[in-house]
Amino acid sequence: MPPIIQARGLSKKYGSQIALDHVDFSVEAGRIVGLIGPNGAGKTSALRAILGLTAYEGELGVLGREPFGNRAALMLEATFIADIAVLPGWLRVDQAVDFVDGVHPQFRRERALALLAETQIAGQRRIRELSKGMKTLVHLALTMAIDAKLLVLDEPTLGLDILARRSFYDALVNDYMDATRTILITTHQVEEVENLLTDVLFIDKGRIVLDCSLEEIATRYAAVAVSEDLIAAARAENPFYERPMLGKKVLYFERPDFHRLASFGEVLTPSVSDLFVAKLS
Amino acid sequence: MNTYVWLIRREFWENRAIWICPAVIACALMLAALFGRVEVAGLGSPERNRAMAGMVLFAFGIIFFLVMTIYSSWYLLDCLNADRKDRSLLFWKSLPISDTAMVLAKLFTGLIAIPIVYFAAADLSAMLMAFIISLRAHSFLGSALWQPDLWLQLQALWLYVIASMAIWYLPLAGWFMLISAWARRAVMLWSIMPPLAAVLAERLFLGSHVVENLLKNRLAGYLAVAFHNLSQHAGWVTPPLGGADSITTPTSVWQLLDPIGFLSSPATWIGVLVGAALICGAVQLRLRSIEL
Repeated sequence: MPPIIQARGLSKKYGSQIALDHVDFSVEAGRIVGLIGPNGAGKTSALRAILGLTAYEGELGVLGREPFGNRAALMLEATFIADIAVLPGWLRVDQAVDFVDGVHPQFRRERALALLAETQIAGQRRIRELSKGMKTLVHLALTMAIDAKLLVLDEPTLGLDILARRSFYDALVNDYMDATRTILITTHQVEEVENLLTDVLFIDKGRIVLDCSLEEIATRYAAVAVSEDLIAAARAENPFYERPMLGKKVLYFERPDFHRLASFGEVLTPSVSDLFVAKLS
Repeated sequence: MNTYVWLIRREFWENRAIWICPAVIACALMLAALFGRVEVAGLGSPERNRAMAGMVLFAFGIIFFLVMTIYSSWYLLDCLNADRKDRSLLFWKSLPISDTAMVLAKLFTGLIAIPIVYFAAADLSAMLMAFIISLRAHSFLGSALWQPDLWLQLQALWLYVIASMAIWYLPLAGWFMLISAWARRAVMLWSIMPPLAAVLAERLFLGSHVVENLLKNRLAGYLAVAFHNLSQHAGWVTPPLGGADSITTPTSVWQLLDPIGFLSSPATWIGVLVGAALICGAVQLRLRSIEL
């Protein structure tokens, strides 16, 4: 099965500023990929190129199509939520359901209505009358009711409280996700998504810094909390990052000798957020 | 096709002024017909009454027509701008609708759908008014208003105006949509300033009036191209309020319309080409409008 997204030498410039610098990556079917990077790293540029919202240089195939210029066809099989909720204020909730139902062959009306029923937002309400979190919930309900092969979420839970965020991610994994679907997600709240991701793509200054699956992280990376007396010996093992913690130092290693590391302390698999900080510092 | 129906329906949801505006005008005219003093000068012979009745119905249409022109222009200037400002563009772009379809649906709404709504409102309120006036004192005018061929002529006139204006003013609509897709704000200013600057610059530096005449002919040339010489048929347009014998047979609308002359005029088709190019430009900007 060909990859859902395949990028080779993907570049994007805004004037003289380089947002994406010859980036290569691919996303396989059935994965939940976190695209993680600091502000201005090129995340949004990458997502926009993938969604056919912007022209780019290099090669890019999404569901077997060149996205820019084929956006309408692409959106039959892919869908997205970009940044904060962007439903128009004048639209009524029931109109939104009717419209998407009217133009999208993959839209499942019953599912959208069921999801909206959970939010207890009346159909006659206009989007502008809703709170930020409710707007997001309406948008998520519309999007989750689309049977898409590729779902792109750009900061999907911004403005939601912690309960709503949790229930969204639970629904995403338990109800929505299956082997036929692929999800590409960006968020600042890395801690919230790291349990559901299967792969991570770290991006910084327009380049891919890390591209691996979560299982690979366990075999490739290690973190050890080392006490002061062993620090010199541990540093000899070439840590790529260290940070102080409760009088000890946590050292991060790439492709280390796990046996030797064990002599300095307990060898742990770094969390995605720790690895992100370590990689980008 | 189905997608276009939804897109146009969407425009009516978003721009409720499309039907609220004509409804308000219709209500105001109804109130005037109900409670106003109807004093019509120059009633007398059946021909004259008939001409008067035609005038009244025509005047009704003109009121709606003027508001429609202003509203429609504003709509076309705003239509590709509003969803960029509130960023809902990203939502519309997440659906399987091409940018071309989005632009064409808005063009159709501005040039065809909105005029149809306004003229339907004009017809409806003209009928109600005729009914009210027949019930009130002026029975001469009242009966003159109920002539089928008068109504038929009026419908033909409005349909002809909608179709020919959509064709003639396509470049103007295209220009408005281009500005709407391009400018971040101040669409009104951007739509007026560049042509104005071109006219002034030409006058100042070259001393010529080519751009000025082009614009003038396009903006003011519609009546001359789409209708037979109006001054010869002025009887229908300006009522004979003065001299008793100034009119004997009211001019028929059929004599005014000049579809053959309109469709065979090169200016018509040059305009269509320019309009099409501008609309293509608007689609191209729309394709990339996330970056703007």
